[in-house]
Amino acid sequence: MSRLNRRDFLKAAALGVPALALHAPWAFANGKQRVVVVGGGFGGAAAAKYLKMMAPALDVTLVERNKVYVSCPLSNEVISGHGELKDLEVGYGGLQKRGVNVLFDEATAIDAAKRTVSLKGGTTLAYDALVLSPGIDFNYAGVEGYTEELANTDLPHAYKAGPQTLALKKQLEAMPDGGTFIIAVPPGPFRCPPGPYERASQVAAYLKGHGKTKSKVLILDANDSFSKKGLFEQAWKTHYGSMIEWVPGASDGKVVKIDPKTKTAYTNFGEHKADVLNVIPPHHAGSIAKNAGLTNDKGWCTVDMLTMESTVQKNIWVVGDSCVHGDLPVYPMPKSAHAAVTQAKVAVGAILARLAGQPAPTPYFVNTCYSIAAPDWGFSVVHVYRVEGGKLIYAQEAGGISVIETPAITTLRKLEAEYAVGWLKNIMADCFA
Amino acid sequence: MGIRATIAVFLVGLGTSAHAADSVEALASTCNNCHGVNGVSVGPTMPSIGGLPQAYLTNVMLEWKSGTRFSATMGRLLKGYSDVQIADLAAYFAKQPWVPQAQKIDDARVRLGAQSLKRCEKCHGNDGLPRDGETPPVNGQWADYLYLESLKYRDDAVGMSNRQMRGAMKRLSDEELRAVSDYYAGQK
Repeated sequence: MSRLNRRDFLKAAALGVPALALHAPWAFANGKQRVVVVGGGFGGAAAAKYLKMMAPALDVTLVERNKVYVSCPLSNEVISGHGELKDLEVGYGGLQKRGVNVLFDEATAIDAAKRTVSLKGGTTLAYDALVLSPGIDFNYAGVEGYTEELANTDLPHAYKAGPQTLALKKQLEAMPDGGTFIIAVPPGPFRCPPGPYERASQVAAYLKGHGKTKSKVLILDANDSFSKKGLFEQAWKTHYGSMIEWVPGASDGKVVKIDPKTKTAYTNFGEHKADVLNVIPPHHAGSIAKNAGLTNDKGWCTVDMLTMESTVQKNIWVVGDSCVHGDLPVYPMPKSAHAAVTQAKVAVGAILARLAGQPAPTPYFVNTCYSIAAPDWGFSVVHVYRVEGGKLIYAQEAGGISVIETPAITTLRKLEAEYAVGWLKNIMADCFA
Repeated sequence: MGIRATIAVFLVGLGTSAHAADSVEALASTCNNCHGVNGVSVGPTMPSIGGLPQAYLTNVMLEWKSGTRFSATMGRLLKGYSDVQIADLAAYFAKQPWVPQAQKIDDARVRLGAQSLKRCEKCHGNDGLPRDGETPPVNGQWADYLYLESLKYRDDAVGMSNRQMRGAMKRLSDEELRAVSDYYAGQK
């Protein structure tokens, strides 16, 4: 890596770029350099791990609220009983073994000028580079009548995996045959674009598997289309007949208000009574990013497409669900674990280059996202990006969704359902082990 | 920002081949998400790829890219990679050590697998370690993955191009395929 970087550097220097000190990589002139990572999900954990792996001398601190992380990918399968929550849990021991300082605390404020992060516990951390991977927070006010308290009690959104996932599973199990399970989908962008539709599929799989075939799954959607739509609709027809109904925003699908007591969802012109009411509230970037002034008017962090560095504040890199990134506006990277991890790896390359006074290396971004719509019935969407003419572009000759119509459909869908499970094990190890 | 943007634009102008070589580790790290760090998979349905023969890796990636080889997912990824990047990735992963995975295997199945080897051992060896430098090793490869791979060869609708593998996989029963998968998975 260093040889060509040095050549690049020399060429850059020949261009007249001043004041780049020629350090050996990661041998820093002014003592131990400090990188703070806020948020220990897929993106933050990957950033902390790869920083330490590629630059062992670096002082890397990860700030995370919870001692155990629960993967959102494959958590819909827990709701249907096809997976166990404990298989989605991972601690931070692997990162600690690698020499990452893990602080179980909460970042409350960022002072970009002083380069410090304040923690709830009273500590102030100084940094040379800061990685923010705070994920998303919910705008409960986006659906009138819905609150965080309701989410934690009677009406779990279960869009962050954990106790709410199990609460929603219990509600599904208690639903009588002939009942209606409503999923209210917020306006995009939201994390895991196929998530609500995979959830509908998993709920239907549970109902079908338990003979509750008179029941209905109603998706009330604020949007007019969705991720892997053709694949989902094919799976629904193949496995669940007419059990799942999707109402797009254009057909008055957007839920604007709920009555938690009667479990009624109100759209602009209609009302739908549920036996299980699963409201997914609108999202925005994690509050710490918002409070630090790093978000745009839509609530998301804007970043340099090639490095993941915030366009608002230098020396802060934002990765994962909280940022908008990709070949905008047509091909943004989806808010997925896979995207977060590749973004984190790019940010690590850019940070190490910055700390060594070198230009950022060429970034590589890919995304692979599996959904399981029925037992042995999985499919995926793939995104590949590359740099062309100094810009990040979506490689249109690549990527896309699994083949919809094919004589090999049984084998193909089984393979991708199985790959989904193997993918999760590997990506969890890639970030946390 | 101005200076940095100048550098970025300049670097992009250097051309892809220099850069693929420059950051083959960064390029390869995008594979880790599914295939494990250094190509050592810890997810039983995903194959380990570190230490596979360079010729095999190059060949399957180019065939996926061109669409001549069936894949569930890989073809859509590889279409976004240049031939130079594919060559770099093949060289990189071929250089990594092949790490047989310790996994839970069924002893009875392993015994049955040993009896069902005659369709496999000519190419893959009775220890799963071919010596021709082209056939992928299967010793300590994940049993789940090996079994899933055999399903591709059994399904004519998939249309795998290797006729020898198709014939061999179809002549084995489902039980025998699982047995051979466990047998090879258990070889160190």
